Amino acid sequence: MKLPCSLFALALLTPLGVYAAEKNEAAMMNERHRVLLKDNCEGCHGAEKQKGKFRVDDLSFSPNDLQTAERWQKILDALNSGEMPPEKEKQPGTKEKADFLDDLAHVLVSARRHLSDQHGVITLRRLNQREYKNTLRTLLGADVDVSELPSDIDAARFDTVGAGLFMSSNQVEQYESIAMKALEEAFALRAAAGVQKKFRYEVEETNQKLKESIDSELEKHERASRWVKALEEAASKPENAEIVAELRKGSKNDGVFRRSWNKIPGAPAPEEFGFTTNENNADQANRAFSRGPSTFAYQKRYLEQPALDTGAYLTIQDQDGGLNSALFVSIPGDFPPGDYLIRVRAGATPQATPERRFLDFGFKGRSRPVSSCHEVTGTVEAPEIIEIPFHRTWVQRDQNAYRLCVREKGTADSNEQIKLKLDQGKKLNGVAPDFAIWVDWIEIERVPETEAETPPGIRALSISLDDKTPAPKTPELRDALERFAIEAFRGNKPSERYIDRLIHLYEDARAAGTKHSVALKETLSVVLASPKFLYRAEPSATEARRKLQGHEMATRLSYFLWGAPPDATLRALAENGELLQPDVLAQQTERLLNDRRSREFIKAFARQWLNMDRLDFFQFSAELYPKFDFGTKWAAREEIYETLAYLLRENASIRDLLKADYVVINSLLASYYGIEGIQGDVFRKVPLPTDSPRGGLLGMAAVLAMGSNGEHTSPVERGAWVLRKVLNDPPPPAPANVPALTRLAGKVLTTRERVSAHQEDAQCASCHRKIDPIGFGLENFDAVGLWRTEDSFQARDNDGKPLPNAKKSWVIDPAGAFHRGPAFRDFHEMRDVVASRTDAFARGITSSLIEFGLGRPCGFSDDALVESIVQKAQKHNFGLREFLHALVQSEAFQNK
Amino acid sequence: MNNNLSRRHFLRSGTSLIALPFLESLGFRRFASAATAAANPKRLLFMGLGWGLTTETWFPDPTQPGADYEISKGLEPLARHKADFTVLQGLTHRFVNAGHQGSTFWLTGANQFAVPGKSFHNTISADQVAAEHFGLQTRFTSLQLDCSTYAGNSGHGPGLSLGWDASGKPIAGHKTPVEAFHRLFSGENTSLEKRKALLKRRHSVMDTVLEDAHDLQRGLGKNDTAKLEEYFDGIRDIETRLSKDEQWLEIPRPKAPIAEPKPGLAGYEEIKLMYDIMLAALQTDSTRVIGYRQPVDTLLTSLDIKVAPHDMSHYHSTMAEKFDASQRRDIANSELLAGLIDRLKATKEADGSSLLDHTTIAYGTNTRTEHNGDNCPTLLAGHGAGLKMGQSLVLPKGTPLCNAWLTLLKGAGVPVERHGDSTGVIKELIV
Repeated sequence: MKLPCSLFALALLTPLGVYAAEKNEAAMMNERHRVLLKDNCEGCHGAEKQKGKFRVDDLSFSPNDLQTAERWQKILDALNSGEMPPEKEKQPGTKEKADFLDDLAHVLVSARRHLSDQHGVITLRRLNQREYKNTLRTLLGADVDVSELPSDIDAARFDTVGAGLFMSSNQVEQYESIAMKALEEAFALRAAAGVQKKFRYEVEETNQKLKESIDSELEKHERASRWVKALEEAASKPENAEIVAELRKGSKNDGVFRRSWNKIPGAPAPEEFGFTTNENNADQANRAFSRGPSTFAYQKRYLEQPALDTGAYLTIQDQDGGLNSALFVSIPGDFPPGDYLIRVRAGATPQATPERRFLDFGFKGRSRPVSSCHEVTGTVEAPEIIEIPFHRTWVQRDQNAYRLCVREKGTADSNEQIKLKLDQGKKLNGVAPDFAIWVDWIEIERVPETEAETPPGIRALSISLDDKTPAPKTPELRDALERFAIEAFRGNKPSERYIDRLIHLYEDARAAGTKHSVALKETLSVVLASPKFLYRAEPSATEARRKLQGHEMATRLSYFLWGAPPDATLRALAENGELLQPDVLAQQTERLLNDRRSREFIKAFARQWLNMDRLDFFQFSAELYPKFDFGTKWAAREEIYETLAYLLRENASIRDLLKADYVVINSLLASYYGIEGIQGDVFRKVPLPTDSPRGGLLGMAAVLAMGSNGEHTSPVERGAWVLRKVLNDPPPPAPANVPALTRLAGKVLTTRERVSAHQEDAQCASCHRKIDPIGFGLENFDAVGLWRTEDSFQARDNDGKPLPNAKKSWVIDPAGAFHRGPAFRDFHEMRDVVASRTDAFARGITSSLIEFGLGRPCGFSDDALVESIVQKAQKHNFGLREFLHALVQSEAFQNK
Repeated sequence: MNNNLSRRHFLRSGTSLIALPFLESLGFRRFASAATAAANPKRLLFMGLGWGLTTETWFPDPTQPGADYEISKGLEPLARHKADFTVLQGLTHRFVNAGHQGSTFWLTGANQFAVPGKSFHNTISADQVAAEHFGLQTRFTSLQLDCSTYAGNSGHGPGLSLGWDASGKPIAGHKTPVEAFHRLFSGENTSLEKRKALLKRRHSVMDTVLEDAHDLQRGLGKNDTAKLEEYFDGIRDIETRLSKDEQWLEIPRPKAPIAEPKPGLAGYEEIKLMYDIMLAALQTDSTRVIGYRQPVDTLLTSLDIKVAPHDMSHYHSTMAEKFDASQRRDIANSELLAGLIDRLKATKEADGSSLLDHTTIAYGTNTRTEHNGDNCPTLLAGHGAGLKMGQSLVLPKGTPLCNAWLTLLKGAGVPVERHGDSTGVIKELIV
């Protein structure tokens, strides 16, 4: 399954790259390559010799059946691995061979796409993990953890492609148990409807605890010092000289020596100084002795700060503890599930530099990735309230999930980073890092819901959900179950017998003594594990195409644009058939896109289209890139989503993704990009000066960071990404078994020198001559997307230690030329060339939208569809909305 | 996905797939006769030791590998069984770098960070792979035993036992000998009626969703029907499991070959009792696969050692009583294991062979000492998998620990081609 899919994803269309020498017709090897086969292969693999029973002389140049494609694949593999021609035989010229491989690799990608084209057939689609979660949330208002289900994310295809969505017995049972949790939450939400709760944590109480703990530490140190002094006195007595000398010899330090106190006559026991444990009591005394006033300089400085009577400061984590490196608040256990607001009243200190005025907010403790990052706009004198919404679920599998945490941005991502910030802070003033953020209090409030918000699944039931009122009679229950099933099945009717069986399940449970509320939840959980809920069926007895029916269209549209089931409006229009009228469909498309739920489309689509998971593949080195902390990474990722949201909102041109005179950022990213005068957490359009490298995907920190390994840039990764995602000219899959370039190991070279070695061997050059120049053009961006003009390389030994005299620095030279295309002097010129390729970019995004929206690969047979969508969008300046409208209005979208 | 499909396939076809030619081709010792092999089922025991062992005194001298090695101090109590076990050195889990987690990935070899954006991920453990194969014949597919106190104190790490299921989720274990005893021999807490009702309900649930599946299927074309078949397969799997539960529903529990254990025992005596229970489970053929996360904290207390278990594993900083404690712990563990092997030898099958001839013990942990993840201490004992015993085996550094699990599983007749990050079988273990 996986192979053809990965080929689809890599090769979105016939290589339309304008810089390719010629267009490859569907799957046809150019006749000019026959010379290479004749000159270099036929001697052994011709009509006469047929070595290895393999001949090339009778090979068709259009590999449009599996056998022929297989034979060409063998040739490609043998040439790539260097296996053929054998060493002593005549070799083709480097350029000739590179061209041959280049074309053949593309021809084979095309051939396989042809051979596996599904001709528009959409396989029965199961709700993927994301849709399943959204569907439960819509239906029941419950937001449950679905991470035990398969993630359905696969680099080779979109998570909507039905053929790739599997089912197993484990899953069937997981659906049932997750549904049970969702129902428990839904019922609890119902019971708690209208409840308002509030809790405020006055953080200054932490200061008293800190003071007490420091006092106690210092008192212990004082006692331990007296013990050490007494022990040293005993040890210095002449009569003990011999034993002391022997003990000292066997001890690697004073602490270990002191553990043997009882062997020294006259030495006092640590117990006498109040140190007792199960083990060697000297250990405690040793520890206390080693931690004196100088250890607690940071803490003492803290206690000297102003405004400690009303609030507390956030600090950098210090191993001696006691300080608020993060403030934790647990949501009280008796607070019901529902929508919450977290408020943090905070201010920045006069010492806070602009980049230190941000708060990381998250759950589950200190070192987990942040949920969001916020600017602290107030001061200690005039603090401001930061408001963060979140939804609390019912099932508390993980207590920590409700332990929220605020800390200064980027102060706890990794141990290296903490140490770095502590050291820097100490260097600055000789004592400890300055305090940047003061917190007054943290407040947790449950926001009561309104009646209008009753989720449709619960509304459909409209029977008693608790055990306080009498349980419904069978006919009443029957109607309720049927209404619920229709709602859950998105308008599809359940069979009579199915409802009969549900009634039996309920009644059996009741007969066995189960309470009504529990029996009802158990019964409903079965509905939510049933195929009509789990699968989006578009039944069709014959294989012939047919028009979608109303509710099928409603379902397709809302899962496309919301990743969730249709709402009442869509359902009503589906019911009366109006949704099938083009103008109504267009209005509804507009309505769905204007709704904030379309954010789900943006996130799900962008994440997969742009392969954004790569951002999580690597740890970014805190030592090399201290600015790119968790909070910044979060904001960088948001920039992609927010930019697309902006395009969608304004129906702005997708050209702006190639080059734009603006960015969509918040204050955090503005500070990262060095743009002044931006305040606040809200992402907004910010104009750029003309010489700015920002504006468009190629200037986004997240995109550039994805093209690195967390330490170094990868021109190859970046170049390939641009070819795939922007120029719609994806390189063929990297061949296996290409001999590795080992001769460069340990050499001190520039990145360009190192990577350029690819161009020497034909099998590498065939792709890298296209990929690498683009990557070099982006070299002015470092591994985390910051602008630079110089780079350096330091050779290291096997333990990672820098080797002496093995460092090289150089001024970056971004100049180059597209393969068989225009030359450029720098990033700006390269971006201009990329920006002129709007057509190719539009085709790429269109194929991706087709795959994502229709839930099937975009094949050759979709060429006309792609073309018509692109043309329609072009008439409206390539506005992002136009692509979506054109797809929704297409026959493919409206047909089963 | 493929894995699941093939596993499901095996489930359905029962055990007839233990193909002898397949084993032979790899050089596994052929069993004396097919009849004996069938009559005496294979058993697998897995014992996880949490915090590491004493590197200096537990491992035999690595410079003198082979059969003529000298028993190390930590293994001294096992000397009388020298021909029945093999100690392996050089094994490691490529992905595991968690020094406080001696058991979490011990039998899985998974990469905790394999799924981007998720902070925890695990995969099926070797005992569960075996259980899928052997489990259909016995009342309990497998038995999980666990230490009675917080497992983190014993260095086991996240998890509920050594077992992780096919989706990488932890499987709960019985935390005391009393609990395990009752599970095996006293029947369920719920009445037969209740259990019957529960099974009936499961069947009804399956019938209900099938009703809907058939209804949905009616309108579907060829492609979609094929896709929906996965759902039907899933239901059939669940039904297979339910019918196994049913088969055993009315078969009374076997009479316990041991007395009901006294509650409240901890440490040394607790482990000894758990071993008794493991033996009893094998004798009654209640299960053929058992995993046990042994306690370390209470073992130390019961040996009158006052060093904290975690600190003990950092004995290098002070040596002295921590080093001493670490060694005493090893010797106590070896004594207990030697006792279990004695009893396995003494328990005879109908044909006169011993239980040890049909059982394999995998014994060790994922951390060596001071939380080092290289050279995971590994001891295999027993002859149930036809592996070569009686040697000190020093493998190249970095050999996947999963190669040992793969060899063990294949040797026991489980049809697997890989496990975790395995790269192949350990040829030196194959006779």
